[in-house]
Amino acid sequence: MSAPTITETRKTKLPRRLPIVILIAALIITGVVICAVLGEGIAPYSPFLQRLGIGDTLPSAAHLAGTDLLGRDVLSRVIYGARTALVGPVVVAAGAFAIATLLGLLSGYLGGLVDSAIMRWVDFMFALPGPLVAIVVVGVVGGGYWTAVFVLIVLFTAPDTRIVRSAVLEQRPLPYIDAARTLGISKTRILFVHILPNVLPIILAYVVLDFAFALVNLAGLSFLGLGVEPGTPDWGRMLFENRNILFSNPVALLLPAGMIILTAVSMNLIGDWLFARFAK
Amino acid sequence: MNTAVVGAGQEGPLLNVEGLVISHGAVPITAPLNIAVERGETIAIVGESGSGKTLTARAIAGILPPGINATGAVTLDGIPLLRLAERELRKIRGFRVSMLMQDPFTMLNPLMRCGDHINEMLRGRPEFASRAARAAEVKRRLAEVGIVDEDVARRMPFQLSGGMCQRVALAAALARDPELLIADEPSTALDVTTQAEIIRLLRRVQRERHMSLILITHNLRLAFSTCERIYVLYAGSLLEVGDAAAVERQPFHPYTLGLLLSEPPADIRVPRLVAIRGSVARAADVVDSCGFADRCDWAKQICRAGKPPLVARDASRFTACVRQDEIQGELDALRTAALSAAPMTLRPDPTEGALVRVDALVKTFVGARGRPIRAVKDISLRIMPGESVGLVGESGSGKTTLGRCLVGLETPTAGDISIDGIAAADFDAMAKADRARVRRTIQMIFQDPYSTLNPRHSVGQALSEALGASAGATSPATPDRIAALLADVGLSAAYATRRPASLSGGERQRVAIARALAVKPAVLVCDEPVSALDVSVQAQVLNLFKRLQAEHGLAYLFITHDLAVVRQIADRIYVLYLGEIVEEGPTERVIGDPQHPYTRRLIESIPRSANQRAP
Repeated sequence: MSAPTITETRKTKLPRRLPIVILIAALIITGVVICAVLGEGIAPYSPFLQRLGIGDTLPSAAHLAGTDLLGRDVLSRVIYGARTALVGPVVVAAGAFAIATLLGLLSGYLGGLVDSAIMRWVDFMFALPGPLVAIVVVGVVGGGYWTAVFVLIVLFTAPDTRIVRSAVLEQRPLPYIDAARTLGISKTRILFVHILPNVLPIILAYVVLDFAFALVNLAGLSFLGLGVEPGTPDWGRMLFENRNILFSNPVALLLPAGMIILTAVSMNLIGDWLFARFAK
Repeated sequence: MNTAVVGAGQEGPLLNVEGLVISHGAVPITAPLNIAVERGETIAIVGESGSGKTLTARAIAGILPPGINATGAVTLDGIPLLRLAERELRKIRGFRVSMLMQDPFTMLNPLMRCGDHINEMLRGRPEFASRAARAAEVKRRLAEVGIVDEDVARRMPFQLSGGMCQRVALAAALARDPELLIADEPSTALDVTTQAEIIRLLRRVQRERHMSLILITHNLRLAFSTCERIYVLYAGSLLEVGDAAAVERQPFHPYTLGLLLSEPPADIRVPRLVAIRGSVARAADVVDSCGFADRCDWAKQICRAGKPPLVARDASRFTACVRQDEIQGELDALRTAALSAAPMTLRPDPTEGALVRVDALVKTFVGARGRPIRAVKDISLRIMPGESVGLVGESGSGKTTLGRCLVGLETPTAGDISIDGIAAADFDAMAKADRARVRRTIQMIFQDPYSTLNPRHSVGQALSEALGASAGATSPATPDRIAALLADVGLSAAYATRRPASLSGGERQRVAIARALAVKPAVLVCDEPVSALDVSVQAQVLNLFKRLQAEHGLAYLFITHDLAVVRQIADRIYVLYLGEIVEEGPTERVIGDPQHPYTRRLIESIPRSANQRAP
């Protein structure tokens, strides 16, 4: 209402130092990205090279993480596995982001029938048990990894749409939007030039979280045999393939499991941190 | 009450603040402050935003926000408050020192019934041990603050109006019978007529209980009308201290004079308000100089040579202006000159050729459970070309809704709007060309300077978009045209690259005006455009409105609750009450000789001068 006391709080800025945890999380993600991009360049062996003669062995100087049942180098497979661990979740996050942003902007700004239609669809999606739907669809339709990615996009779009919509509703009554309307600025321009930049930070923070969820979900589907093709180096698939050699070479199971956890947790931490910084 | 600042009473002052320094880490928020409050005395701490007045109050009550530190001595009746542990302080708060805050809605717990707020304060006192005794006392306490309706104690805060909430909060603050009440802008968030009631109530309670009162306010006129002594705080330093009546009669510090002249007088219309240039300084930037030096017309080398101390110039008068002796004559002359009324410009009666016509306008909103809320009921008004029309009313009067209907932000339920001869009641139903023409004719300025600009767009982007909107996208918004717009509102071309976050409230409002001017409108709807600004900045912006009207022949619909503001700017006013126009006429006539009881109440709610105050 009146300004006198407002400005005082506005002037005190939060310290802008990067917390050490976030720094570590960022380093882990950078490492995973490097593995995914360089792949062959840094993997000591081909991930497909089978040496049935040696079978599963414990870590040694030649095989830092040991070998699996077919004699394949575990470290190389984990390094290669970064690809499916990144590509799928990135596509899911980007797809959900694009659709949710569009739907959320329309729903929040236009209101009325458009809003009702979109929100009822969101409600419907919320009523579905997400992972189960993914299992059923991929199981029935087939198509493996990319079908799973598509299903996850659809599933993740619903909650994201809600987030975007509420962020838009917060901006909509502000005078700068009214001012643009009185100037006769077009709806499209108001949506994408005025509102979008102001809600983008919040959306991006959620998109990062989407990535982490997608990673865990895709790994889970791969473990169930509903993701990547058999033989593909994939962290979730490796959990399935190496579950029987837990005692002969535990690293073959624990390394991909650890990578899934580390990557997902790192992304979550970064997402939370981004959210705390921008949502205010 | 002519007690000196250093306590001369037999026991010394009730509250004595000595060398209080508030800081945020290494950043100083105030210079050492000395404040004394006698028993039963009412003092005001007057300051603009960022002056440190609220934090000073909080430091006294021991409720500074985390990260903010206070050093120095705060002594209440011999007890050193700053050195007490939190447990000890709890025995003092409420019982000896109590606080009343600005926002009545957030001060009460939204999940607690009104009576329980007072009940909670009474608990723990042996005389109110039984539930029945407490209930009776709650009733008595509510009656003390003028609430006789017993039902109020059972209601939730959100079911009450702001004024009622503030009364309940006052009753809760007084429940433990404190000796000192600190009221931080207790009336600022309320409607003008309610403001006057709350202030009268505070005064009455203070007198009856012989309680000491510290009133924190940005409103110098309110301070003069309510308090015995005035402390003028600016950028963390006290610039002037003295007896209210004496300070009002003859301010010793250029800043006090500036504040006094910046406040638009309600009784006369001046040709131009004397504004203080620039915007409020920050305490950290003026550690080694007079805080006001950068905005002062009398500043010399000596003002920047060090922080001038507060020195006695008269019995009970203190000023921090080192040049007071030399410049007092000039200050007095400026005061006399500023208070000469402007000659009345008589306009022909508005009949023919109105730029804006509103006929029998009705706007009904759908409220909770489908209940209709009739914001505007049957309003008709006219705005002539180049005329400045005031629309005066309190919150809920429908004044903002009416303004929003005019610019097409709301579609009226019934009635006609015609702008420059084009029917403009329903913007969606208009032909595209008509709509574009209406939008180039009428523009709006909004109240809140902090959200009137898109935080992600630079000033230049905002203006070039507006320029593009005026002429279709074909005409390029050249830097020259942006610079010309900025110059029009008194800003340099360098502002084009700045973002809203780096601008002060006054600067943002200037940019918002420039944005509206980009389409070369004939009429501006100004919705409380200066009410969120500091007093010294408010005068600058009002002068800008006056200048723009003279230069561009603009017509204004000036929506405000502040009669003093409307007196300075409007030729003719409409008084709006609960969605209906209760009085209209030339400004001088309506304010000088109000006919409707509501108008009279509005005018009576303007704070009186300290020199006219009833003893």
